[in-house]
Amino acid sequence: MRSLLSLVHWWVWRDARRRATNLLRFAEVEADGGRDIVRAAEQTRDPVLRKLFLVHALDEQRHAELFRERGRALMAQLPPGPDGGGRTQWLAPGERGLDDLRVEQERDGSLLAFLHLSEKTAARDFAHYVDVLGHDPATREVFEKVAHDEAFHMTYTHAQLLRVSPEGHGRLLWMARLRRLWSLYLRFAGALAGLIGAVILTLQYFILVPPFALLARRAQAREPLGWVAIPEQRNGALTRQY
Amino acid sequence: MKILGVSAHYHDAAAALVVDGLPVAAVQEERLSRRKNDAAFPMGAIEWCLDQAGLRPEDLDAVVFYERPMLKFDRILTSALRAFPHSRRAFAHAMKNTLGEKAWVRGLITAQLGVRRDKILFTEHHQSHAAAAFLTAPTRRAAILTTDGVGEWATTTVGRGERPADGPTRIILDREVRFPHSLGMFYSTFTAYLGFAINEGEYKVMGLAAYGRPSMVDQVRKVLRRTPDGAFALDLDYFEFHTSVTRSFSRRFVDLFGPPRLAHEPIDLETAEGRRFADIAASAQQVLEEVLVDLTRRLKRETGLPDLCLGGGVALNGVANTRILAESGFERLFVPSAPGDAGSALGAALYADRIHFGNPDRDIPDHPFWGPELDEADLARLAGEDGLPLQILDEPALIDLSVEDLAHGRVVGWMDGALEFGPRALGHRSILTAPHDLAMRDRLNRDIKYREEFRPFAPVVPIEAADRFFVLPPGGARLARFMSGVFPVRAEWRERLAAVTHVDGTARVQVLERDMAPRLHDLLLAYGRRSGVPVLLNTSFNLAGEPIVNRVVEGYSTFRRSGIDVLVAGRSRIVKRAVAQAAPREEVA
Repeated sequence: MRSLLSLVHWWVWRDARRRATNLLRFAEVEADGGRDIVRAAEQTRDPVLRKLFLVHALDEQRHAELFRERGRALMAQLPPGPDGGGRTQWLAPGERGLDDLRVEQERDGSLLAFLHLSEKTAARDFAHYVDVLGHDPATREVFEKVAHDEAFHMTYTHAQLLRVSPEGHGRLLWMARLRRLWSLYLRFAGALAGLIGAVILTLQYFILVPPFALLARRAQAREPLGWVAIPEQRNGALTRQY
Repeated sequence: MKILGVSAHYHDAAAALVVDGLPVAAVQEERLSRRKNDAAFPMGAIEWCLDQAGLRPEDLDAVVFYERPMLKFDRILTSALRAFPHSRRAFAHAMKNTLGEKAWVRGLITAQLGVRRDKILFTEHHQSHAAAAFLTAPTRRAAILTTDGVGEWATTTVGRGERPADGPTRIILDREVRFPHSLGMFYSTFTAYLGFAINEGEYKVMGLAAYGRPSMVDQVRKVLRRTPDGAFALDLDYFEFHTSVTRSFSRRFVDLFGPPRLAHEPIDLETAEGRRFADIAASAQQVLEEVLVDLTRRLKRETGLPDLCLGGGVALNGVANTRILAESGFERLFVPSAPGDAGSALGAALYADRIHFGNPDRDIPDHPFWGPELDEADLARLAGEDGLPLQILDEPALIDLSVEDLAHGRVVGWMDGALEFGPRALGHRSILTAPHDLAMRDRLNRDIKYREEFRPFAPVVPIEAADRFFVLPPGGARLARFMSGVFPVRAEWRERLAAVTHVDGTARVQVLERDMAPRLHDLLLAYGRRSGVPVLLNTSFNLAGEPIVNRVVEGYSTFRRSGIDVLVAGRSRIVKRAVAQAAPREEVA
């Protein structure tokens, strides 16, 4: 399994354009994650956590800048071409930020557990990327720097979890693991539902829509360009939705 | 009557509460959720508005949504049909997006608030803009122009408003330009082409335009043409926003203007490519201005009225507003503090109050501070927990110390009173610095705002001194009240106001009357006595990608994460340890 994953990572990071695109996307994810951690710092009533969260947020901001700079540098070396954003996103997940977490609804303990697992996953992923980036020392160095910080984040979140919830930290970690699994399922289910919806709507589009499209186009041809008078009655009743 | 206005689902969701004809609360959802441009149904904003007035949802007489969702769906569906067979993705997206949630606003409001269905009303999108512009302005009769990307079908409307002392209030919109022909979409397409985010980066295009020459106006006029009746039309061959969910401009647009800028590419104005982008921005800006000036000239001739109220997102274009004031013939131009969709929540509530229910007109207080108040005690708690010495000062001491900070080149985070409603920081949630040297501008861009070098910073000046430093035409001070105009800095002051003078010698100045923000006004006068120049650089209190701060704790976290030296919240003040220990860096020149 591990060697298969390494093969996937190698394939993802082999191509320079894909590498640049992924780095630029990582920059966005890190910046978003940093903003969520700022929010966590603003929410908590625990001064120790607030300080640590603010340091963590600054780290994320710096990571975003590192990824952005390297992504731009790689992009600048490439000939103009299509922006490949999104095409390999599912293969190189990196950090997901906290996009599926409502920070303001979390207690300190559950947030720390979630952060700890996120950082642990990120540290592991980044270690994989370092392994397969031997051919690109500059990008490898970026991941090494970031991975070093992730190790600190992983450590402090665990230590603080033990402090704020000495009895219940194990339960909180398991809850966080289950929530991550649930999020993964929702992401997968959402993607599948989107795919099914797109297929059904595409079929409808080509089977049901053409006669209406014809009518809509004929109506469009009759529409004048420029000003259109607004009928008096439209300046009236507010009960209609249409 | 108690009327709640709501805007949501496109960008910048907001809620506003009107009680007995006057606003009592208005706030954008992003300021509470801390997600920039939050478009979600603004439950947080609604709850805050109701709490502020001590109301429960069942106490409301009406909830007014700022547009007609089914009419909007009609436009989206019809546009997809017209573009058949190139709109497959747009069709699927529109169906999922609109039928998934956005079309069922009545049900959503009922479910979320428990308000009876018959209490839920809908204004048209541009009626909301018109009401936000006209009913909040200190004028009795005015011409109205609203222009934005699109609401339901209308993209631009013109009309007039009356609120006589002894009769019913009226807002009559006479005619409209319909989607896809849209000045807002025209400008947003250039925004996307220049690599900025749509609905957010338009002001960057305006800032970039000052660095360019309008050398491509002929090409721009090809894509935005005038119609014989004095309106305008887009040549749709150059656009894709009406058929695509991912792309605003077509291959032909690229053939005409050259390769677009990718979002991650920095703009280097020293290179030919950077100058090309600046020239394109300048050309698009000039053509937009020409069209707006012509529309308003015609409106002036038609109505003969001295005042014009301007609403919709395009009214945030301060350079165009200034040209309208100078060239349209209108004597006064009113732009509300929130002319975009957020302000429509207030517009919708006021429209329902005055026009639908026929309640008597009341003058709206002429300020933008309808959001949450500061809780100064929070700063004492935070500073205490983090071991930072806090000073609670009387008014004169606070002003004196702040003047010293500013004179020594420190950056001051300034929080005072209630939060602004709208996109501009107008003195209650601001970052203030001395306006004198370019190094300060660069420091703000680099260490605090983390933003592009070409973007200018705005000054704030007391109204008594405004003419001394800025070339304000008649009506200019009014337009500058909510930072809605861009005016030349007087040549003799440009060097002393280098940090706020844009490359073309202008500034988006805020002209401050004491009634609006007394503490900031006092600070400006005191700084003037100290430095000889009662002008400060005033930029919004936020970091890149974040909404303007609301609560003290958000100001505090911004202070801790950035190069801000001093934080003032009400009468409380803290400084960074390094600043407190350091000797003064530089005196005012």
